[in-house]
This record gives sequence, structure tokens and C-alpha cells, in this order.
Amino acid sequence: MKQIQLAYRKIIGAQSTSIWEQYVFEDSYKEFLMQFQLYNTENKYHTFSRLSAAIPAAEKLHFLVSAAVTGYIAQLQNKIPDIQNTLGKTFLPFHLYRFEIIDSSIRDKKDHRIAIIFYSEPLLWLDTIGEHLLISLNTESNTDKDMAQTELVKLQPFMSIYSLQKTNHATAIPGQDILS
Amino acid sequence: MERKKFLSQSLTALGVAFVAPITKACSKTDVIGDTDETGSGSCTTTPSETEGPFPTKSPSSLVQPDITGDRTGVPLSVKIYITNRNNSCAALANAIVDIWHCDAAGNYSEYGGSGMQSTNYTSVHWLRGRQTTDSNGLVTFTSIFPGWYSGRAPHIHVHVYNSSGRSLLVTQIAFPTDICNTVYTTASPYKSRGTQDTQNSRDNVFADSLDFEMSAVTGSVSAGYTLTHTINVSA
Repeated sequence: MKQIQLAYRKIIGAQSTSIWEQYVFEDSYKEFLMQFQLYNTENKYHTFSRLSAAIPAAEKLHFLVSAAVTGYIAQLQNKIPDIQNTLGKTFLPFHLYRFEIIDSSIRDKKDHRIAIIFYSEPLLWLDTIGEHLLISLNTESNTDKDMAQTELVKLQPFMSIYSLQKTNHATAIPGQDILS
Repeated sequence: MERKKFLSQSLTALGVAFVAPITKACSKTDVIGDTDETGSGSCTTTPSETEGPFPTKSPSSLVQPDITGDRTGVPLSVKIYITNRNNSCAALANAIVDIWHCDAAGNYSEYGGSGMQSTNYTSVHWLRGRQTTDSNGLVTFTSIFPGWYSGRAPHIHVHVYNSSGRSLLVTQIAFPTDICNTVYTTASPYKSRGTQDTQNSRDNVFADSLDFEMSAVTGSVSAGYTLTHTINVSA
């Protein structure tokens, strides 16, 4: 039995369509324009990639611009967007994420592309069925008699297993009863 | 007999030929479906569940008068007046003012080693805030007295923008040494680190311009302090 954390990288750009994505796109771009000026003091650069290559401290823009989207992250109510179980419902709980600026330009909003990586809560990885992972949100060890509630989720682009921990399952150690 | 066998073989051959494109068509449909689910396709599939929670417009988490977050220290009220050098130093209304400073231990909020952050946004961007000046050119923040870190005198960073977000000035605010000495030697959790290692006069930011950057600070460790400072910008 293994515990895993899934990671999902959601990319948002000018082509993104949902209202939530558009809010994130608009507000992160507005914040980018403001914070970019902190590092572009000589007005020599107009893209994030060029600025951060020349001025390493500008890497902090990932964190600074993320302030614009934390309110939207909170609106997700701790459920990773897009990733659905085989019943067609989003179900993966998260409380950790990372915001990244893929690249952006102060001259052209269309070049603004960001990513949010969502890290799921620890899950119990029970089995793999074809392209699907059989997982349980309940990582507390069940006794063999209990029916464990499970979810099936398909391996898909931009989703990965971020961390893995082999768990010592709480099963009876043979011979222990005799010794005690 | 031979004709029957021929037909059956032909049908089998045809059958395979027919089945193959169908199989291909199915797998192609699957791929399109997958792509849509990740949101990177050119069209959007109909949601398979009730939409919601409904997104609403949300301000930056920097926009808050109390920037303390989960940090502890001596309360500090920060009052900054912005005046316009291009208008006889009159109060500048609707200017956007960002401030940020370190905590009692000398650390800034930023991405940690793992690169992840908690969704508890009130504690993510602690000791960083944004307010817009009122008709008196004033912004007020509730925070804690900053600590210090090696090589710098205690300070608050300030970035002033006009109402449309164009940068007008990036500057820093200095603290009176006597008050720093009181806080850093008598108040928790500052006193475990003692007094600052860099005086204002030796600080590479303040040394040549301290008169313009020194703040007025009143109050006490028990009642908290109030910092007042005026910043002139060209708007």
C-alpha cells in the first residue's frame, strides 16, 4: 500500500475560456504590470523571461504576482479543478499550490501565460486499472472487513504523481499474539 | 463450396478493413475528450456536473489594512502621507501604496524551499500590503514593529504608484535608533536577537539621505507604536 500526492498543472493564458480562468488571467496580468516595475528600473526589458535572466531577483515575481490570485484559489474550496473521477466529478482535495509565471510581456497581454500547480492531499494508491488509478481519499488504514470508499481517476496530461510514501500497513504481526 | 469459402474470406478481410477505422475513430474521440478535460482544447465540452462554486471578482490579497497575518510582535500602526511635488506638495489622492517589511526574526514572506504555499492566504503574504490614499494623501496599515537582518538598518519598503498602477517611486522608511533599541532589548520575540548590527548612519541605503527617509515613531512596547512619514513623489 502506498500513499501518493497527485500534482496537476493548470495553464492559463489569453485563450482560457472559463470565468474563473479569465479572472485569474486578468488580475495576474494587472499585478504583473505593477510588480514588474520594481525590477525593471531602467526600463530595459519588456518580458518576464528577459528580465529574470538579467536580474535574478525578479524570480520573486512568481511569489509577488501570486497575491493577485490567492482569492480565486480560495474560491475553489480546496478542490483541484478540471481533474474528474470516472463519474465526471471533481473530487481531489488540495491545500497546497504553486503559482508560476510561464512568461509575460508588458507590451502584449496575449503573451501572458501562467500556471498553477495543485498538489493533492495524500491519497492511498490501491491499484492501477488500465490507465486509471484506483485511489482512496481516506488514508487511515481500513481493516480488511471495512469497505473502503474509492475513486477511479485517469492518468492524463499535466497530471503527475508528485510524491510517494510506502506505508507500513497496520496489520497484525504474525506470532505477536503468541509472544504477548 | 469454393465460392462460399471465397465470400467468407472476403468478408473477413472486409470486416477487418471496416472494423479498423471504427476502432481508430473511437480512440480519436477519446483523445479529443481528454484534451478538453485539461482545458487546452479549442472547444469546450459541456460540464458533466453542476457548475459552481461560482467565481466572483476578488481583489489582490495584498489589499488589506491589517498586514500582520500570522506574525507576532509589538503592534505598529503605519501612517504614510503621499504628496505631489508637481502640485506644490499637495496631498495626492488615489495613489496606490505598497509596503513590505520583515518579521521580528528578520524574514520576509516569500516562497519557501518546497515552493508550495498554503491556501490560507491571510498568512501567505504576511507583512505585505496595499492601500489607496484618501483625499488627505494618507494610507494606514496595521502591522508589527519590524525586526532586522544582518547588514541593514531596520526599514520598511514602499512602492508608490499612480491610480493606474504606473510606478512613481520605490523607497524605504528608516526607524529612530532609540526606539529600535527599546524594542529589540525589552520586547518579545525581538529581545532574543538583541539590537541591530547596522546603524542608520552606516546603512548603504539611508546613509546619504536619512533626513528624507527617517520616520517619526511614537508609543511604547506595551501600547504599541505609531509610525508617521511623508513621501514626496512626482505625479
